[in-house]
Order: sequence, then C-alpha cells, then structure tokens
Amino acid sequence: MKLDYIFKGARIMQQRKRTASKRLTNSNLTYHLMILPGIVFLLIFNYAPMFGLVMAFQDYVPAKGIFNSDFVGFQHFAYMFSLPSIERVFTNTIVIAGGKIIFNTLLAIVFAILLNEIRVRWLKKSVQTIVYLPNFLSWVVLASVVVNMFNLDGSVNHILDNFGVGPFNFLGSNQLFRPLIIGTDVWKSFGFNSIVYLAAITSIDPGLHEAASIDGANWWRRVWHVTLPGMLPIILLLAILNLPNILNGGFDQIYNLYSPVVYQSGDIIDTYVYRVGLMGRDYSFGTAVGLFKSIIGLVLILSANQTAKKFTERQLF
Amino acid sequence: MNLQNKSLSAKIGKTLIYVIIIFLGLVTLLPLLNIVAISLSSSGAVTANAVGIIPVNFTLEPYKMLVDDPQFWRSFGISVQRVFLSLGLNMILIIFMAYPLSKRKSEFKGRSIYMNLLIFAMLFNGGMIPTYLVVRNLGLLNTIWSLVLPSAVPVFSVILMMNFFRGVPKALEEAAIIDGATPMQVLLRVYLPISIPSLATVALFSIVGSWNDFFSGLIYMTRTTNYPLMTYIQSLTVDIQQMIQQGINSTNLSELMGVSDRNLNAAKIVVSSIPLILIYPLLQKYFITGIVVGSVKE
Amino acid sequence: MNTKKSLIYFVLLISLFSLLGCVGESEPEHNEDGQLIVKLGKQTATNPKLPEGDTFEDNAYTRLAEEVLDIELVNDFEANGEDYDRQVALAISSGELPDMMQVSQEEFEELYENDLIADLTDVFEEHASDYIQGLYDSYDINPLEDTTFEGRIYGLPAAVNVTPPHMIWIRQDWIDQLQLDFDADGDKLITIEELESLAQTFIEEDPGHTGNPVGIPLAHWLNEPGYGGAFTMTTIGSIFGSYPRNWIERPDGNITNGSLMPETKEALAQVKDWFDRGILDPQFGTRSWDDIMALAVNGQTGIVTGAWHMPDWGLSNVKEMHPDVVFEAYTLVDDQHKVNIASQNPSGSIAVARKDFSDPDILIKMINLFYDTLKNEPNLEEVYPDIYQYQVLDVDGAVRPLNMEILGSTSELEHYAEIRDALNGEIEVSDIPDARNQSIALSIMEYNDNPEGASTAAWALYHSRMKGLKLGQSLIDHNHFEWVHPVFFGTTPAIEQYYGNLLSMEEEEFIKIVTGVESIDHFDTFVEMWHRQGGDEILAEIEAEIAE
Repeated sequence: MKLDYIFKGARIMQQRKRTASKRLTNSNLTYHLMILPGIVFLLIFNYAPMFGLVMAFQDYVPAKGIFNSDFVGFQHFAYMFSLPSIERVFTNTIVIAGGKIIFNTLLAIVFAILLNEIRVRWLKKSVQTIVYLPNFLSWVVLASVVVNMFNLDGSVNHILDNFGVGPFNFLGSNQLFRPLIIGTDVWKSFGFNSIVYLAAITSIDPGLHEAASIDGANWWRRVWHVTLPGMLPIILLLAILNLPNILNGGFDQIYNLYSPVVYQSGDIIDTYVYRVGLMGRDYSFGTAVGLFKSIIGLVLILSANQTAKKFTERQLF
Repeated sequence: MNLQNKSLSAKIGKTLIYVIIIFLGLVTLLPLLNIVAISLSSSGAVTANAVGIIPVNFTLEPYKMLVDDPQFWRSFGISVQRVFLSLGLNMILIIFMAYPLSKRKSEFKGRSIYMNLLIFAMLFNGGMIPTYLVVRNLGLLNTIWSLVLPSAVPVFSVILMMNFFRGVPKALEEAAIIDGATPMQVLLRVYLPISIPSLATVALFSIVGSWNDFFSGLIYMTRTTNYPLMTYIQSLTVDIQQMIQQGINSTNLSELMGVSDRNLNAAKIVVSSIPLILIYPLLQKYFITGIVVGSVKE
Repeated sequence: MNTKKSLIYFVLLISLFSLLGCVGESEPEHNEDGQLIVKLGKQTATNPKLPEGDTFEDNAYTRLAEEVLDIELVNDFEANGEDYDRQVALAISSGELPDMMQVSQEEFEELYENDLIADLTDVFEEHASDYIQGLYDSYDINPLEDTTFEGRIYGLPAAVNVTPPHMIWIRQDWIDQLQLDFDADGDKLITIEELESLAQTFIEEDPGHTGNPVGIPLAHWLNEPGYGGAFTMTTIGSIFGSYPRNWIERPDGNITNGSLMPETKEALAQVKDWFDRGILDPQFGTRSWDDIMALAVNGQTGIVTGAWHMPDWGLSNVKEMHPDVVFEAYTLVDDQHKVNIASQNPSGSIAVARKDFSDPDILIKMINLFYDTLKNEPNLEEVYPDIYQYQVLDVDGAVRPLNMEILGSTSELEHYAEIRDALNGEIEVSDIPDARNQSIALSIMEYNDNPEGASTAAWALYHSRMKGLKLGQSLIDHNHFEWVHPVFFGTTPAIEQYYGNLLSMEEEEFIKIVTGVESIDHFDTFVEMWHRQGGDEILAEIEAEIAE
C-alpha cells in the first residue's frame, strides 16, 4: 500500500513535491514506529482485560477459566435489577458525584473571580499555593486528616460545641455522610479546578471592564455583565465534559472513609463492585455491574463530547 | 448615591473579598496543620483531642520511632523507585504517542485508528479481576513492574500533550524540515523545547498518580514487605509490640509513653507527603500554563 | 493480502485473549538441593513477637518443618484479616491456588464446588497419626464432617472447643483505684445493671485520664456464632436467651435463625438503650477492629468483650503501654444466675491442598508434626531447642505454617487443670505432659513471684489461664451454664446462595436499630425481609436435611 502511494505520488506530482511526498512517507513510517510501543502497552494492559468482560455473561468458574465457563446470557444483569440494594447504590453514586460536580464548579468559579480581585501579590501567590496543594495529596493521607477533623471528638465538633451545637457523628450518620464526602472533595479540589477559570478571567479584554466602569457599573454588576459572560464558554464546556463523571463517586475517598453504618447513604457503584465482586468472590456479578456502569459512562461521555462540539465548538478529543 | 458613599461601599466590598479569600486559604491549610501538630504532640494530648494547630506537649518521639520502622522506609523506597520508573516510561510513551497523533490525518495515515484505540481505552476498561489476571499471567505479581506497566500509557496525559503539540506553529516545523530535519529531530529539537509547561504538567500528574495510588499495591503485592508507601499507610494496624521493640532500641520507657498509634500514624502521613510538597512548588509555575493550554482542543 | 492481514489480526486477538487464561498445569518445582518447593497462602497476625531476623516465612517453626519434611516452604502470599481474604479471593479468581492454604468454611465450599482442592481422604487415612485422628474423634460431632462431601475429606479443619463463656474483660486496676464496690461477692458473675453502672462510672471518672473516655465499645458486626468473638455482644445476648447466627429449634418444633428470635430483639433494645444513653461507644459502627483495640490500648475504655484467650493477643498490647494494668474476667448472668449459651461448632478455618498438588501428604505430615509430635514431646528443651526458645518468648503460634489449632474437645480445661495443680504444688511442673503447658506454668509462676516485674508474656499467660479459663471452670463447677444446641452447622445450596447476603443485611439493619436510624420495631421488618430474601428457602432445606 505504501508503494502504491509513492507510485501514485510520483506520477502526479512534480519533482519537488515528489521529494516532499517521499519524506512524508518516511515520516509516516517513523510515526508508526513512534506510536507502536504505547499501543503495545494499551493492547496488553487495557484491551486484553476487556476480553474478561465476557465473564459478565458467564457463570465464571475459576477452575474452568474464561474459555470454558458456561454462558448464562443476561442472568447477572437481571439479578442486578432485582436487588433492592442496587437502586440505592446507583442513587448514592449519582447524588454524590453530582454534588461534587456542582459544588466544585461553583466554588471554583467564585474563588477564581474573587482571587482575581486580590492585588497584594504575595497574598495571592500564597493562597494559590495553599489551595492547589490538597489536590496532590492522596486520599489515603487526606482520609486520616478528615477523620481527625470530623470525629465525634474531633476539632470540628469542638468548634461547634463552642456555639452550643452538636456533636455530630459525621462519619456515622446517613444524613451527614454525603455532605461530608462532597464537602471534603470540594475542599480537596476547588483550588485546582479554579486554575482554568482564572485563566479564562485574565483572558477577558480589560477594555470591557473599563467601558463598564465608565458607564457607572459597580463591581458586582461588572462581574455579572462582563466577567461571567466572558467565562461562560469555558464553564459550559467543562460542565458538559464533567457530565460523564456522574457515575464516578470517587472510590479512593469513599473506600477510606466509609463503614457499614453509612452503606445506606455512601455505598457507590465502585465500592459495591469491590465488595461483592472481589471480597464476596462473585466475580461474574461484579463484572456485570462494572460493565453496566462502563456502558452508561461510555454513552454519556460520547454524547457529552458531541454536545460540547455542538455548543462550544470545542471538544476533548 | 454620592461618591464618598460609593467608595466606602467599594472599600467594604474589597475588604470582604480579602476576608473571604484568606478564609478559604485558612480552611484549606488548617486541617493539614492539624495533622502536623498531632504528629508532634504527646499521645495523651492526642487521645484527649486537645491538639489544634499547635502541638501540645511537644515531642519528636513519633518521628524518632518512625526512623526505626524498617517497613516504612522499605515501602518509601519502593514508592520512590516506582515513581522514577513510571515517570520515565510515562514520559517516553506520552511524547512518542502524542507527537504523531498531533499530526493531521493527511500527514499521518492511520492516525484515526490509533486515536480511536486510545480514546476507547480511556472510556472503557475490563475491570479489576481481568486486569489482575493479565498482570498475574505475565508473572508481574510482587514485582515493581506490576505497579508501573499497567499504567504505562496515561491516556488523558497523551491527549493533553497532543492538544498542546497541535498549538505549536506549523512554521517552526516546516522551517526545520526544509533544513533537512527528520521527524525525530523535529520532535526533539523543535517541539520538546517549547513544550516545557505541558511536559511539566504531565510529569506532575505522573508523579502524583504513582505516588498516591494505593490500590494496585493492595491487589498486586501479596505481602506487606512489598507494599508501596500509600498501601502500607492504608493498611496500618495497631502494632504496639513492634513499636515497643523498636522503641526499646532508641529510648526509655517513659518517653515511649508519649507515642500512640495516632501520633505515630500522623507522623507517617506527614513524612509520606513531604516528597509531593517539595516537588509541587517547583512545577507549579509550569502546570498552570500546561493545564490551561492542553486541556481542550479548539 | 487481505487474508494475511486478517490472519495477523486474528493471531493478535487470540494472543491478547490468552493473557486472561490459565497458565496451565504447573510442574512441581524443586530448589537447588532437590527439595520440593511448597507454596503456602499464609495467614499472619499482628504482633507475632518474632525474634529479630525471623519472619513469617523463615522462623524456627518453618525451618523445623522444612528439615523434617525435606521441603522448602515459600509463602505465595501473606496477609491477615481482610487483606488475607482479598488475596484468597484473587487467587481463586485466577484458578491458581498455592499448594496449601487456610480458608473459611464459605471459601472452602466454593473451592470444593469449583473443583480446585484435593481429595485428602487417602493421605489422611494413611498418614494422619492416631493422636490427630483421636483429637477429631473426641468431639460429639466430628469436625471432619464439615469438610467431608460424599464420604471424601477435602480439608482439615481447625478444632477447638473454645472454653465458654463469652467474657467481659474489665480494668480491675481502675475498679481498685476508684474504690468501687463492684461484684461484691467476688464470683465474677455480674448483672447487666452492674455492668451499666460501672461503664457509667468509668465515663464520669475517666480513670485512664485520656479526657475522652468511652463506655463499652462493640464491633459493628455485633454477633458471631459461638462464644469466642472479640468485641461482640454475645454475653449480652446470652442473658436474654438470644443466640444470633445459629440454627435453633423453637419450642414449637420449627427451625429458625437465632438472629430472628424475639430474644434477639430484646438484646438489641438493650444495646440501643446504651447507645442512646452514651454508655455504648457513641461512634459505634464506624470503628474498625483496630480502632476498638486502640481504645483499650489508649486507656479510653476499660471494658471489652471476648474469649478467655484475649489477654494473649489483644490485651497484652494494653499491658505494653500501661505496665501496671490488671484485667479481670467477668460474665453476665440472668436473674437465675445462669449463663445461656449455644454450643459452638468446634471447627474453624480449614487447611486445604491445591487439587493438582503433587504431595498432599505433606499437609498431613505437617499437621502431625505441629499438633502431635511437638505437643507430645516430653523433652522439648533438648530435642527442639529453637521451638522451646520460641515458647519461652511466647512467640505467636500464628508464625507456624498453618495458623490454626487442633485440640481435643476438652483440651483447654484439662490443660488449665494441669497448670493449676502444678501451681498449687499438687503435681510437679515436669509431670505436665505437654511441653507448651510446662512453659506456661513456669511463666505463671514467674508472674506470681513478682507481678510488677513480670514480662508481658507472663502477664498475658497468667491472665488468660488464671482468670479466663478459671472463670470457665468455675461456671462448670457451680453449674451455671444453660446449654442450647443448634440443630444444624453445615451448609445447603440455599445457604451458599443467600446467607452471605443475609448476614450483611443483618449487620446493616442491626446497626440502624442500635444507632437509632430505625426504631426497634424495624426488627420485625428485618425478620420479614430475611424470610423473603432467601431465608425461607434456607429454612426449608435445613428442615429437609434434618428430617433425613
């Protein structure tokens, strides 16, 4: 095929273009070679495991392996929908993930707008450095921090006690666990999320602000009529691209913070799959639940990408 | 509304903004200071939850004891090794995948096949058990490679890098080609030098990701001695006897009373976070640019 | 060209797919000295007290086994608690097991169904010593029955008749320090009111000076069948006549699960009442096993429930941190001064061999070595000096290749009687037949000579035997036990299918009731849910099996 191409090229193109074309073909080969190692890794560690998804349609018996286990069709999916706990798991996931997306976006935007007003350089820099930091720490580490703060006898309850409220058992209450998970996640990442918004604000034409000022608009009005509209495309874009995360409640965080007391409100798809599919050794069922989640996620992300393309003329890939 | 009034309300508004920003900074910082303070306080104070952001009954015992915990340092070493291996492998694969993919379809035949392979791998996965089976059948269990190879291609970083490469002016490349540069030379001499911010960003993601991951260690390592640091910290148990045995080497019993599982664990958490806290400011100036430029394609 | 291309894709596809398959039959491996390499799934323990340099893989016990059996032992994985369960689950998922490992009853049944473990009948009959066979035979119901399918033995269960009752270990040094008039008659039998007021006093006075006292901590699973569970509410349930997680025959002849009985509702109401009044740990449910241990170690709580052997592995941590600590074993009794108790299935975790393991006899020989030869060696100090040294250091038995015990039905109390007689001077220490018990007697003498200066090992052995086992013996002597015998210990297809799910539901619903998320009457809803979610099928199958 490559030869064909050169041949065709040679026939049609002039001498100069022919050299260029040859170079292009050489480049093509180099490109293939460059990308090859990465693709090999993808095939082995991402694609090979995907064949394992057939487990979801089998009664997987380890001794027989994937090749010889009996197929049972959609039995595991039917069982999944018959379980009362599955509805709870999906609800928890969507509420927690949705809460995280909404509050993370809101706080990041507000923070970016406010930070942009800070004129004291050292203060701005230090605050930035501090609020970006938690995003880089592991949930293993931050879970300890959270437990220390939100224990029945932790600092937060000490502070609340001074106001005569509480104590609240944040980690052991089905009313408070979700807010805790959402709140601590926002605490971890709002700073980092604000980076993009901050950039969007600085790219707004300063002339617009000046014009608004001259028209007598106060700060509040300028934010409302200049800054926010200027940020809108990026806000919209990120919101759309975040949509598929609605099924990702955050395994690391919840795994390190939950206990049976709060399964009711805090058990998400990923933790459920881990407990049932691995610890409960119900491999096929666990794979089926995971597959169901992946498929919904796939549909969501593809439509999000299309939506983003349509409304903002940008996309992730 | 007269002018003076207006400037007064503006002043109040300004102050309010400063207050809110400082408040947000403190809210982020204080919990972290709390864990540092706990690691430096006596066990009695910690158990009574008397520690705020300032150590109570200051003691360095937890840290002294940590120095004597061989498993902590073994795990620390494994994590360091893992970060370097992952970083090297990730960067090579990211660069060599992102560069061809940043070419137009007409410049690189077959691009769309690779692109689809990449995107599908990002959206879909085989799940925990099948991935475990592959790693196991390749004989990687209990080796450092089980922590490195499965995440060798960070798809999101490849896409981020690809988007950045696309923003590099074509003229630069064309000039190099006219000078007779091969694609490899173009990549190394033209693209990489101007991609430092994005490279720093994906490097940071790689370091943070491999340092913080605890779950692969839990699955792929079949004994505690092979755990990377975060897995070790995640599975910490009350191991007083071990503490005491170590303690007796370095200190007398009354000092030992200053240590409990809580301040010792806090010390482990603090020490385990130090590498990231050191690296992050170094890369901070780059990643802001990197994220903004690379995250979406026009 | 196209066919060639498709062929390449096809080969690629197959080779990727094959990455998921089994590696196939593994040949027996030998080391340089020609010894067979035996791979173990090793269940470890925290605080093993191993001497420096020794590990779970390489210690006096493993070296002895390697020498005697001419093998090399390698641990395929080693972990404990949930980490061990995860490793077992991962190994099962791949279909490749270590040559030998220990599993739970549930895992065992799954391994049998999946045809992954070896039939041990022949090697057991040929190699198991008479002593070992006698140990199993000493029970009314032979523990081997749990591991026998259609007449063939597939696993060797641990066998221990844990000495009842379920106990409450209380900080006696606090009681003395506060000069409380607790258990005035000194019979170690207390009422629920006494326990309650003691917990309240501990919370008010904070004798541990932690500023953060906790009354009574319980584990979130609340119940285990039998009476050996650490941090469970078994002793509280016993005064109400509640026997959760046992298959019980009701007076009307119907079979039910103890968790569903109205008596269990009463017991839960009691615990819930404690939660409401702050006597139960207010963070009940969120604390892990380790967290509860830490409460005791930190001196936040002085009341924990568990078996007689708790000082040996758990409370010894408290002693390490607080050298002056003294515990006393108590148990709750009802109005009639009785301890209601459901007899326990003596078998525990089960040792199995991989189906294609070349030398399954090694498992039997290993069991002979550890549970017969070593136990019955009268002159351990000279014949096995390294092992003797370990026993003096009180190194945890968990470091043996198999972390389990095989004892006769009355062994624990017999051993206690021997030790007691030796301490009383009725017999010589050297008259004690079991070497381990000789060294225990010597340790306890060391403790008696100088309680303040005694080692933690001596402290622990003194507490577990002279307080824990002594309490068990005295309840038998004074006829305080009111036995209930569960009608069924085995398994049925419906149990395999539904019981795991029912147990997690029970745990969750009980937590809700105790913490007040649901009212106590939610218990009735739980019972209905239990019956609907497969419980009825289980009960029907059990009745059918018993009828046979």
